[in-house]
Amino acid sequence: MIAGTMTGRAQRTGSASVAAPAILLALLSAGHGGAQTAQTPADGIKLFEENVQPVLERNCFMCHSDPERAENGLLLTTRAGLLRGGERGPAISTSEPALSLLLHAVGYEDEQLQMPPSGRLADGDLDAIRQWVQLGAPFGGDEDRLSEVAPAEDAFEITDADREWWSVRPLERPDVPAVADTDWPLNPVDHFLLAKIEAAGLEPPPAADRRALIRRASYDLTGLPPTLEEVEAFEHDQRPDAWERLIDRLLASPHYGERWGRHWLDLVRYAETDGYERDRKKPSAWRYRDWVIDALNADMPYNEFLTHQLAGDELDKPTAASVIATGYLRLGIWDDEPTDTALAQYDDLDSVLDVTSRVMLGMSIGCARCHNHRGDPIPQTDYYRMLSFFRGIAPYKVGGGNQPTPENYTDWIPPDLGTTEGERPVVEGPPHLIEVLRVKEIGPEAPPTHVLIRGNPHAPAERVEPGFPLILGDADPGLGERAADSPTTGRRRALARWIADDGNLRTSRVMANRLWQYHFGRGLSPTPNDLGRFGEPATHPELLDWLATEFTARDWSLKAMHRLIMTSRAYRMSSRPPAGALEADPGNDLFSRFNMRRLTAEEIRDSVLAATGRLNLELGGPSVYPPMPAEVLATASRPDAAWGEATLEQASRRSVYIHVKRSLLHPLLESLDMADTDSTCPVRFTTTQPTQALMMLNGEFMSDQARALGARIDGGDGTVEERVTEALEAVLARRAHPVEVARGLGLIEELQREEGFDPESAFASYSLLLLNLNEFVYLD
Amino acid sequence: MTQDPDRPRNTFCGQTRREFLWEAGGAFTSVALAGMFSTDNFLAAQTVAADGTTEWKNPLAARPPHFDGPAKAVIFLFMYGGPSQVDTFDYKPDLYPLDGKTIEINTKGRGGTRNQGRVVGPKWQFKQYGECGKWVSDLFPNVGGCVDDIAFIHSMTADAPLHGSAMLQMNSGRILSGSPALGSWVNYGLGTENENLPGFVVMLDPTGGPISGAKNWSSGYMPASYQGTVIRSSGTPILALDPPPGMSREAQRRLLDRLREYNEEHAAPRAENSELAARIASYELAYRMQQHAPEAVDLSGESEEIRSLYGLDQDRTKDFGRRCLLARRLVERGVRFIQVYSGGNHNDNNWDAHGDLVKNHEYHAGATDLPVAGLLRDLKQRGLLDSTLVIWGGEFGRQPTAEYAEGTGRDHNAYGFTMWMAGGGIKGGTSVGETDELGNRAEVDRFHVKNLHATILQQLGLDPNALSYFHAGLDQKLVGVEGAEPIHQIVA
Repeated sequence: MIAGTMTGRAQRTGSASVAAPAILLALLSAGHGGAQTAQTPADGIKLFEENVQPVLERNCFMCHSDPERAENGLLLTTRAGLLRGGERGPAISTSEPALSLLLHAVGYEDEQLQMPPSGRLADGDLDAIRQWVQLGAPFGGDEDRLSEVAPAEDAFEITDADREWWSVRPLERPDVPAVADTDWPLNPVDHFLLAKIEAAGLEPPPAADRRALIRRASYDLTGLPPTLEEVEAFEHDQRPDAWERLIDRLLASPHYGERWGRHWLDLVRYAETDGYERDRKKPSAWRYRDWVIDALNADMPYNEFLTHQLAGDELDKPTAASVIATGYLRLGIWDDEPTDTALAQYDDLDSVLDVTSRVMLGMSIGCARCHNHRGDPIPQTDYYRMLSFFRGIAPYKVGGGNQPTPENYTDWIPPDLGTTEGERPVVEGPPHLIEVLRVKEIGPEAPPTHVLIRGNPHAPAERVEPGFPLILGDADPGLGERAADSPTTGRRRALARWIADDGNLRTSRVMANRLWQYHFGRGLSPTPNDLGRFGEPATHPELLDWLATEFTARDWSLKAMHRLIMTSRAYRMSSRPPAGALEADPGNDLFSRFNMRRLTAEEIRDSVLAATGRLNLELGGPSVYPPMPAEVLATASRPDAAWGEATLEQASRRSVYIHVKRSLLHPLLESLDMADTDSTCPVRFTTTQPTQALMMLNGEFMSDQARALGARIDGGDGTVEERVTEALEAVLARRAHPVEVARGLGLIEELQREEGFDPESAFASYSLLLLNLNEFVYLD
Repeated sequence: MTQDPDRPRNTFCGQTRREFLWEAGGAFTSVALAGMFSTDNFLAAQTVAADGTTEWKNPLAARPPHFDGPAKAVIFLFMYGGPSQVDTFDYKPDLYPLDGKTIEINTKGRGGTRNQGRVVGPKWQFKQYGECGKWVSDLFPNVGGCVDDIAFIHSMTADAPLHGSAMLQMNSGRILSGSPALGSWVNYGLGTENENLPGFVVMLDPTGGPISGAKNWSSGYMPASYQGTVIRSSGTPILALDPPPGMSREAQRRLLDRLREYNEEHAAPRAENSELAARIASYELAYRMQQHAPEAVDLSGESEEIRSLYGLDQDRTKDFGRRCLLARRLVERGVRFIQVYSGGNHNDNNWDAHGDLVKNHEYHAGATDLPVAGLLRDLKQRGLLDSTLVIWGGEFGRQPTAEYAEGTGRDHNAYGFTMWMAGGGIKGGTSVGETDELGNRAEVDRFHVKNLHATILQQLGLDPNALSYFHAGLDQKLVGVEGAEPIHQIVA
């Protein structure tokens, strides 16, 4: 059979089993096109010129004719190009023409490889190409064309410029620069900043007032506002170390972990469901959230913090806490009905590798999944070498079907696992088993890892072994033999050892940059997940390197770094721009003033609750379900089963404890730019939109809170004026000015007189106004 | 800050990536605000970026397209669940006599991959309509009357034959979640023409949202400014639009005036921070939205004739008709992208006819045929069809064979299905692409979801292969980094 006879209507047999034409067509490309029409070489050239070349030109040359930019490296303009082929290998086979990759691709029977992508070629054109390939794919008389195609170059090479890139070059402790104004600096951080400010001809920035400072420090470290009493105590604290005492108090607060834990949860795209159609709950995911909070509160060294998440189950002595930490590897979206199961498994691993490399290493290794990285010296082989550290992970599910395999990702473990008698259990709780979300592996041997051509799991190429990115030194991972009964490969432990090593400059640089970012509003490099060429260079690379060396020297203690950064004069500068700063430093690249910031979504909601006295500061535990507006529930495919319930007390917990359901996000938090739940969020957006104003003015939560504020400040026997004053002071944590009080009284009176409000409703409206103030949601 | 001259730059709309990072919130100086200053300059003097000098740019302000496109707005009529092509618009006369016969056929759907199946002949007859003589099934007699304005694409393909990932692909171009929706891309590219309404509106079926809910209109890695806003066709149209009980519009005005006094006092010594001014302005915009959004969804001014044109006078059509009529009203008011869902929830609450095809499709086609035709006719008689691109289709189609041993239900089919477009510079009375004789797989001029997306962007004057957003180290595009061609054959 040849293709030409197969077009048009197929004969119908009338039998119960009908070979439909569509199916026959699909079989064609296995085909033997043209074999029967033996022709001379001259016929082949004629066929090429008349029937093949025009088809190639029309359909293929857009991507496969420019030697510089041919897609996949495949050139179809010369016979040599076909013989050499592209990344998938030779396009034609001279020994077995029917098996040529070109015919396979244009035949369209393989869903993974269909060319041209715009649509299957017409049958006649396909016939012509098949016949021509059978004839050896002659191009015509001009044999010189063969020499036009040089052998493919080895495209990857690490250059000197690559090694000199600012985030790659060896980390040396920079000298602290000299400054003219030697009175200003309090610690080396200040020297680095002031040197550049002075070089720009600017004066040192003035200091912020004490109220601005305590608000700044309280929100930065705990995400909560200071009370009026705390503000005034600090304002009147004449001790020379009043600031240091404040910082130590805040760092010791259990709410520190909630605030900084949320930063980490942003980075690891924390959510408690799988996403997609069923959006199933990840069992006990909240234990991971609590682990993060607890670890930060305990000031666990950062390198240990990473190690436990990557390989807490592979430690010499795993504990319940370290096993819970591996929930990190189970947080991603997960498609329970993948179209291509093999691809989905690689997507899952890709997600883990992508998050790990961006978050821990500030590298976009994920960009090298399909080809060498276009900007950084990361060959595709690096991607698969790194991927292979995770290859032993047991997938959520094995084989097909819709059901996940819980034994792969949950476990029941004793809460005192790994602790000996007399030691305090790592996880508080009764001595029965607890359910944990965790990683598991399939045994001591991982399946082989191959480089996948164009990232396609159905097109494996060379096999690779675990290894670190070449540009970062390519150290030996030190993978030893594993006992036959070992539950894991030990590979993640090896990766963690390298990432968490004191000598791993990248890890400390990346986290030092984030620490700066979360304190100053932007990182020294503004793209903290990518310190490569697609990111933004650091404005103060020396300061970053100095902080990075300081970080390891202080045993990776985050709290020590907070103290260091916050006791600088730089952290205490005013957000008011000094003279000339806006002109000389319009983007504030020099940090010539402090960056004002709007509170985050969680901070706004928590602050509202704090102001009204409703905030429930209970720590940890399963997530809560504050009421969800019916309009939002209606967007779920199963509105009735979409959400849970909570008592008023539980609904008033801090926002970090609200259940994170990927397909149904808390509307107020979502509107105020909470982190995306599907991919790592290194920097939050700060949008300003009318829908936020609607929710802050009209939403049921806000109405309730406004009434709660009114109830809290009942005034007793006091006057309305005293109530107005007290409410303003409770919300803004400062003394009220008479003009502000008068304005509030004016509103209350107007609403009663002109709009017929009763006194309580009028006061609630005033309370609502206070909770909407810019001063309430912005920090100086 | 020094710039590496070799580093690639995002050049979309003349922005460098650095400027982009400001706008998008990559740095503290970000301002992202739904448009408000283009018609109202009361704060224009303060609308500068945080550097104090650069003119402040509103990310949702209308921006010029890449080139003149005929379409200014899009209405995507989303037939969630997947309508069967061979029972609607893809006429396969050869399929009728095979009814009940088991044939060799390659299919892949919810029930997995199969090599044979029992043919379910089309359950409706087809008739020819219009000057173009298009064959349309008896499910759509009213849409049949509009075929001379419609271009049918019979050779659509998608990558996933399962709802979750297929929905995401049709809505965002990717089967993995986390990417911006089509409507987000359009608003990112063109902004909105009416600052008093959202630029990307979604109207859901009363039975609930589609699976994955808000993921289908999420702005993904873009700022929330670009995400879809759900508008309800009855009651309060937008979440939290209505003031709380007891708060009249006048009372709220008083509250807002006082709020502004406090806020302006606070902003005065902080004039370099345009975010403060923007937030003040956002309350004014919210106040205006409260006025304009109810007006936009208030159908009381529509004539009996119009109401009946959309089927508002019939029980089975009034619900979808109402949403279609709302869509027209939103287009008239400058909303850029409107998505209307037919079907919600799960199973037979949408077009997902696994069991009883006849019952399912009679119900859903019956609810939508008249309103869809009414919408096309109404847009046309108002001269809006030329500038409004209407899209009809689901996340995939259905198989020519039965899913189960008994019954008429068909399984999913992502390898060949029909969608259609009308208006917005689309050539009416045309059909492109073909499935095989059984309507199973796209065979001739196959088009991928990407080609559909490319066509939509092109008709709006956006170059699908140039509209990009820098994220995670890549200039991301709706049509993917490899690009895609629009479907040129259906463009007038």
